[in-house]
Amino acid sequence: MITRTLGLGLLVVAALATSACATVRPQERAIQADPTMVYDGEPHETATVQHAVDNREGSIGGSGVSGGGCGCN
Amino acid sequence: MQLKHALAAVGVAVTTLLAPAARAQVVDFNTTHGIFYEAPSRTHMFVYTPGASLQVSPTDFLDIRAGWEADVVSGASVAVKAGPAYQATHPAADVVSTASVHDLRNAANGGFTLRKDIVTLTAGYAYSTEHDYRSNSFNVSARTDTYDKNSQFEIDYAHNFDSVCDRVQPTATSNQPTQLIALEDSTGCFSSDPTRTTKSIAIDSYQGGWTQTWTPVLSTQLLYTGEIQNGFLSNPYRAVIIAEGVKAQEHHPENRARQSVAARLHYYVRPVKGALRFGVRAYDDTWGITSAAVEAEFEKHLGEAFRVTLRGRGYKQSGAQFWSDDYTGGNAPLGPKGQYWSGDRELSPFWSWSVGLRGIYTFVPKSGRLLGMMTSLKLSLSGDVISYHYDDFTLGGVPIDNARAWLATFSVTALF
Repeated sequence: MITRTLGLGLLVVAALATSACATVRPQERAIQADPTMVYDGEPHETATVQHAVDNREGSIGGSGVSGGGCGCN
Repeated sequence: MQLKHALAAVGVAVTTLLAPAARAQVVDFNTTHGIFYEAPSRTHMFVYTPGASLQVSPTDFLDIRAGWEADVVSGASVAVKAGPAYQATHPAADVVSTASVHDLRNAANGGFTLRKDIVTLTAGYAYSTEHDYRSNSFNVSARTDTYDKNSQFEIDYAHNFDSVCDRVQPTATSNQPTQLIALEDSTGCFSSDPTRTTKSIAIDSYQGGWTQTWTPVLSTQLLYTGEIQNGFLSNPYRAVIIAEGVKAQEHHPENRARQSVAARLHYYVRPVKGALRFGVRAYDDTWGITSAAVEAEFEKHLGEAFRVTLRGRGYKQSGAQFWSDDYTGGNAPLGPKGQYWSGDRELSPFWSWSVGLRGIYTFVPKSGRLLGMMTSLKLSLSGDVISYHYDDFTLGGVPIDNARAWLATFSVTALF
């Protein structure tokens, strides 16, 4: 059931993605470039926090797939 | 004399490496340090995570990076897990091993990024060692920026070739999971010690992402992550009481498929010069764990150089289908679960919340360079408190009622 829901979600995403168009002109992108609006703007601090949190939960996702060992005692 | 020549050679080499970099302002150095501490009932854990990375961009289309990080772990963990029904008739059956966890993970990584027009390609490799674990992994990713950079699509893949230490079992019990004996310590691991062996773990990880700018102040991100694990996925040190007088090494399935969908939204609130950030994530896997996480952050500029972030997170998961707090009996959800058993609290049903604060100060000189070298220097300090609430997991037959953890990070980033 969850797999079907995820599949449907991905289909919707693909439809939206293919219909996406330039909505913001380059000269309007100043705020999007502000460090508070950037995704993964502080990757080192985020990775350190995520490493500690992920090792104490039974789930993963949304934070990249770089690998690099366990460290999970 | 030789030392003098050697120092001169090193000096020339460093000057040669840094001179073009300094002219082009393309060296990025970071060091980040994390401290995690938790002390719930009868156990405790302290982890110090230092790291450093260096990225050099010799040309506009190429970044080269190398890094190192470590986990210095000390604390206690559950060596033998029993539940309240068994504890009632066998007091102190739970064994918390106060000296069992002293580990050091060292991880080195390197990689490069290539850029051409709207396409960015990245590849990397990482190698890590622990007393009882070895990991080799590579990762590749591709990203494209389209529609005037309003849409970014990214795909990532990583593969781990890992191995974990285990004890050599007596021949008579080697095919009987109920008779396997847990590893007592990491002495002799990854050596020619005849009492030790290694077992492999293969991990394939995938991620696809779409980031979209909708208005000058609104953007969203959607991510799908998948992971397939195969191999020895148990904790080799942990034993579980599975029947009257029967203690066996933790026994998890050898395969696990995991997937999650995450959505994020960033919205800039012009009147307060700050950004609201929201995130949700749904997860499920073939072990029967489903989870949901929600995150909210608010980050605001205080002056030109200082930013402060207030953040919170809520998380809830169900337990694995084969997880039980007591495999010897008791009322549901206790009792026998089938061919697998686990003493891992991360596979038990629980929920958690966390709140945190982060401050970032960035020095950017009005003219020239800081200390004659740096074009900018960024300092970051954060602290979070995390509270875990276990629905069924017990230690010594009693629920954990004070599972609170503290996490602090300090980071310095310098651009040259």
